[in-house]
Amino acid sequence: MMSSDERNLIAHLARRAGFGATSNELDRYQDIGYEALVEEFLNPVDSQHIPDDLIFRRHVDLHAMQGHNAAYWAYRLISTQAPLEEKIALLWHGVFATGENKLNNLGSLTNQIGTFRTHGLGRFDILLTELSKDPAMAIWLDNHTNHKNSINENYGREILELFSMGVGNYSEDDVKECSRAFTGWTVKNGEYMAMMAQKDSIWPYGRIFWHHEFRSDDHDGSHKSFLGESGPLGGDDMVKIICRQTATAQFVSRHLYNFFVADEVPVPQWGDTPARDSAAIQALADAYVKSGHDIRSVLRVLFNSDFFKKAQFDKVKSPVEMVVGTLRKTGEYSVPDGGDKGIFDVMEEAGFMGQKLLDPPSVEGWHTGVEWITSGFLVDRVNFASEHIGNISNPGVKGMTLRVKSDSDKSSDPGDLVDACLNVLGPLDVSDDARTLLIEIATAGLESASSKSDESDSDTDQLILDLFKIIVSSREYQLC
Amino acid sequence: MKYLKTIGFNSNQPIGRGFNYPYDIAFSNDGRIFVLNRMGGLNPSGIRIQICTFDEDWLGEFSTGPGTGDDQFKVPVCMAFDNQDFLYVTDESLNEVKVFDNQGNFVKKWGTAIEGFGCLKGPAGIAHGDDWAVYVVEQYANRIHKLTRDGESVLSWGEEGTGEGQFDMPWGITLDSQGHVYVADWRNDRIQKFTSNGEFIAAFGKSGDGVGQFNRPSSVAVDGKGFIYVADWGNERVQVLTPDGSFHQMLHGEATLSKWAQEWLEVNQDELQARNNSDLLTKDLPAHLRTPFHAASQTEPVFWGPVSVKLDSQDRLYVTEHSRHRIQIYEQSRSLSTQDIL
Repeated sequence: MMSSDERNLIAHLARRAGFGATSNELDRYQDIGYEALVEEFLNPVDSQHIPDDLIFRRHVDLHAMQGHNAAYWAYRLISTQAPLEEKIALLWHGVFATGENKLNNLGSLTNQIGTFRTHGLGRFDILLTELSKDPAMAIWLDNHTNHKNSINENYGREILELFSMGVGNYSEDDVKECSRAFTGWTVKNGEYMAMMAQKDSIWPYGRIFWHHEFRSDDHDGSHKSFLGESGPLGGDDMVKIICRQTATAQFVSRHLYNFFVADEVPVPQWGDTPARDSAAIQALADAYVKSGHDIRSVLRVLFNSDFFKKAQFDKVKSPVEMVVGTLRKTGEYSVPDGGDKGIFDVMEEAGFMGQKLLDPPSVEGWHTGVEWITSGFLVDRVNFASEHIGNISNPGVKGMTLRVKSDSDKSSDPGDLVDACLNVLGPLDVSDDARTLLIEIATAGLESASSKSDESDSDTDQLILDLFKIIVSSREYQLC
Repeated sequence: MKYLKTIGFNSNQPIGRGFNYPYDIAFSNDGRIFVLNRMGGLNPSGIRIQICTFDEDWLGEFSTGPGTGDDQFKVPVCMAFDNQDFLYVTDESLNEVKVFDNQGNFVKKWGTAIEGFGCLKGPAGIAHGDDWAVYVVEQYANRIHKLTRDGESVLSWGEEGTGEGQFDMPWGITLDSQGHVYVADWRNDRIQKFTSNGEFIAAFGKSGDGVGQFNRPSSVAVDGKGFIYVADWGNERVQVLTPDGSFHQMLHGEATLSKWAQEWLEVNQDELQARNNSDLLTKDLPAHLRTPFHAASQTEPVFWGPVSVKLDSQDRLYVTEHSRHRIQIYEQSRSLSTQDIL
């Protein structure tokens, strides 16, 4: 029998490497064991997500991807059995933030997320090369207008500043040389595709998704000097040089720490603000160098480290983590239904909470941590969680109530009932005040039920739902 | 088959000419084309049936807007005219079949109170027999339901499974000139052929992307000579089979500008110029995008979402593409007979 500490630790891993776990999933994870579970997350085999054909038959607009593609991603987020694939895509979506508001081409942006899914756990140089070829990124940062005889520095600057090294680790000359190296890295039919994006044109036959094209006639292949190296450097060379830099190892490691371990200050402050745990960052950076820039290897160190294991509930859930984690518990939308727009609405809810998938606020991505929590956002988060967790018609909620009744003896200590509720929703360890309130409600509920001659199962269910709703309204449920 | 022309273009507006996720078409006796405009997701306001001609004259529309009213739809799927020129339309969310005259006036609806069955379970494909029967595919019940034109059950067959006469979320349905019933057995990646009483005759195809293989076939049509046309939806193509089910021809789509598309581009010269400088028939996709879906989504002339195949009175083939919002039309390249093939 595994101790509650070990179960809590596995639940912690499931929250960070995924979107939390149901009680049944935790049972399975316990059987696997912590280190083996880390490997399962790091090496997903079969995601078993809701298949595209079912989604597209029910939601034809998600096939053409002309709008609301967060719903398409949501189906995968709520159903995948390879949650780290989605978490890493979510991480890189925040780092390499590319937004629909400029592109008007959700299909290409969705393909970019697929690239993050495919390469996000692999070598960082490969990921950065694929990113540099990504057509959505090319249009987003105007690299389709970066020509041999007229460079546009936008992508050449951001790949250094926001995507790999951070301000202060390169010169303005490096920006120019990097930009020259990425001339000719464009989008097929770039002028027409950019015009359709700019005009939000769907004519005559809907959106045309984009793909990369290298135009050698528009590429500056002349000699360049970049970060101390020189030669007829091209974009591939730039990526390799960037990925060899100490600053890149530190930058990537800090991003991984911020996303998986504990909240850091926003990226623009990294140059002035020391890392929260510099030793941890260095350990991750060492793994980055030793592994040849392999993100999977860095995460293996991260998830098995003491600093990760001690960081339980040190992070604020992002809106997407909160919404998806809740839906995975409630079991909603497991079967696509074209007559039900709910899946679209719930992802809009995440937007109302400050994180609209596929539409980050700027190239900096979202500011995370406590910046997710404003008074308005918090109300939205609590209302969302309590509405969905408090609805027993949701199959997952029904299952949780059965589990609570199975795990607790409702005729004895109200504390047992509260603990059972906290276990199926976490396990969570709420504050003393919250626990006192929960026990008061449980006591009153059990006394009321026992005083009735015809105590019914629905009374118990309602009491459990009331406790659920209070628990998901707690501070602790908003953390991970 | 030989490509002839394309009709339609995209419009996300709730009224007026132009399609948004067209899902099926039907021909009235006078040759008008009725187009089911499904819309989708958070923009269902343009759900409606539009009427146009082969020459792309836009004649009007009816049943505009989503709803549960008599002449409204929530998630319409397929439609077919009977031999009295009444149009029957299925709705997989309302579980109803709605009937209109050839002017678009609502006549009646049924499907929610069938004796012995309750409601239809996700009506999808619909077809008419010469015996006054209406055949409705119930995708969620994995069965074919034969009913009278007033919605009274005559018989039904099928259940979930992969065996003969079993289905996995069937979709399209049609009848040949001899009254045989063909069903697009969607998730079993095959076409099944039955007698009009549901007796199994044959099954064509299996899962895959090779010739004679299907990936989620959504629609089937049979011409006067018995050739079988299959909307190989997941493979983004149409396959033509001989009457015995052998592979005959593969169609990938080769759309040109429709009349409406040309008119739109004439008043948007900047896009026309940029378009003329582009190559929209992509053949050099990066390796990770070499799938039927990606190729179709990044290449404008080929089929993308070929959801419905229908034949007009001249056996011209109409391929409705929901994600390119248009209909590509093919004509018989020569007078085919079974002798040509056998």
